Amino acid sequence: MFRADILVPGMEPYGRVGALLLVTRVCPMRSTASAIAAVLLSLASTILPSPCVAGAAPAEALVTSQLAEKVSFVDLETLQVTGEVSVPGKPAGIALAPDRARAYVTAPEAKELVVIDVDARKVVRRLHVGNGPLGIAVHPLDGRIFVADWYDHRIAVIDAGTLAITSYVKVGESPSGVAVTPDGRFVLSADRDSHQVSVIDAATLVVVKTVPVGKRPFGLTIDASGRRAYTANVKSDDVSIIDLAAGTILATVPVGKRPYAVALAGGRAFVTDQYSQTVSVIDLATNAVIRTLKVGAYPEGIAADRTGRFVYVACWEDNTLERIDVDSLEVTARVTVPDGPRAFGDFLR
Amino acid sequence: MLRTLALGLLMLPLVMMNVANAHGPTRQKVTETVEINAAPDKVWAVIADFHDFSWHPAVEKTEGDGGNKEGAKRTVFIKGGGQLLEELLSYDAAGRNFKYAIIETDMKVLPVNNYSSAIMVEDAGDGKSKVTWRGAFYRGYMNNDPPADQDDAAAVKAAKGVYRGGLDALKKKVEGAG
Repeated sequence: MFRADILVPGMEPYGRVGALLLVTRVCPMRSTASAIAAVLLSLASTILPSPCVAGAAPAEALVTSQLAEKVSFVDLETLQVTGEVSVPGKPAGIALAPDRARAYVTAPEAKELVVIDVDARKVVRRLHVGNGPLGIAVHPLDGRIFVADWYDHRIAVIDAGTLAITSYVKVGESPSGVAVTPDGRFVLSADRDSHQVSVIDAATLVVVKTVPVGKRPFGLTIDASGRRAYTANVKSDDVSIIDLAAGTILATVPVGKRPYAVALAGGRAFVTDQYSQTVSVIDLATNAVIRTLKVGAYPEGIAADRTGRFVYVACWEDNTLERIDVDSLEVTARVTVPDGPRAFGDFLR
Repeated sequence: MLRTLALGLLMLPLVMMNVANAHGPTRQKVTETVEINAAPDKVWAVIADFHDFSWHPAVEKTEGDGGNKEGAKRTVFIKGGGQLLEELLSYDAAGRNFKYAIIETDMKVLPVNNYSSAIMVEDAGDGKSKVTWRGAFYRGYMNNDPPADQDDAAAVKAAKGVYRGGLDALKKKVEGAG
């Protein structure tokens, strides 16, 4: 028997139709099919753990808080922390599986990769990976996990099903940001202390080229077309824009002090400037900074949500997750998260 | 063999190291505060000059240039030996705060890397002030598995000691001056 008040507490006055409308409004539906599935599943159950059922993942941020040793879940609609999971080992890097149901978090102090079931909000596995696992990315097609080892100077390749390390790819010094092209053909590594990006063939796991960039590249982001990559260069205080096919630098854009990572949305690049406490906004038509937004202290991880309307930034020192409106270029909301949030990688579900 | 030798060289206590080399994975955060029985302007007047660090009991003297403008540099000489080169990152006279970074560190003085710090004076009401001194840094040992005197705990302890010693001395100085 379908009971609207159990499905969505407080919905009694609105009845069954109201509850279904609320379910479809708060749970972003990926397709009509999943929306129909959600409605049918709602009707089939009298009690659900949450209004959002399988196939309609709630939009949320998974924030790695390094000092608090937690990953917290922030609902992006309400910008509220809705839960957290304890992750000992000083968690920093994060990436999500292609189906967004699993999160892979690096815990460098423990030298481990931590696997989290996102719906259950539980750690399901921890595995030893090298000496300094930090940057992490997931292959969009086969789900393989690539973990950059900061101390061993190589990328560990981990099978999605068995979670076994199947190989290593030697790259430059202190690989930091890792990313995979949308077509799955190449894995890129920002080799911080070699001042370069290594381009790895994802099938053969051979480094096919290296591209010199600015000084100490850390965060690395590839655009949705797979044509360009962006590195935040911590020491030279600039962003390198790479033409991936040509393997050349299209532009080097000066930003604020100690840039950490880059998010892409609305034809713009959003760059966190750790020491300046700002986000520098680059117009990608002109490759010029058009705005410098004041945010919390020590902004680090930054990413665009799936709508492309908002960019979220983790401020490590102020312990906030802040929402930036991509059109108005203003910080429109912020929420307090556990101590030392870094959110280094792909952290928006 | 060469790698061991290189690591051995890194251990020399008086080696001046450049900031932004490979560092430990976890940045540390330290905050210390003190309440002072004096108006904020009076407290700020004592610490406002980036080139006058004499209010800190551990400081012998400072030498520098650039005034209180972003980019100004100062060398802080520590009593008993050792020195740090610091750069002013931001300065807000109206807000009574400034932020700076150590650009050449000295493990003997402070076993830290990539260190930045902010100090601010706030109105605590009733004619009182609150001074907050906070720092963000990595441990002194740049590689994995650090020795005890250059690990995360040693870095945090050292920074806390600097802030506590400075803030307590500042309180005595301001309140003592009447």
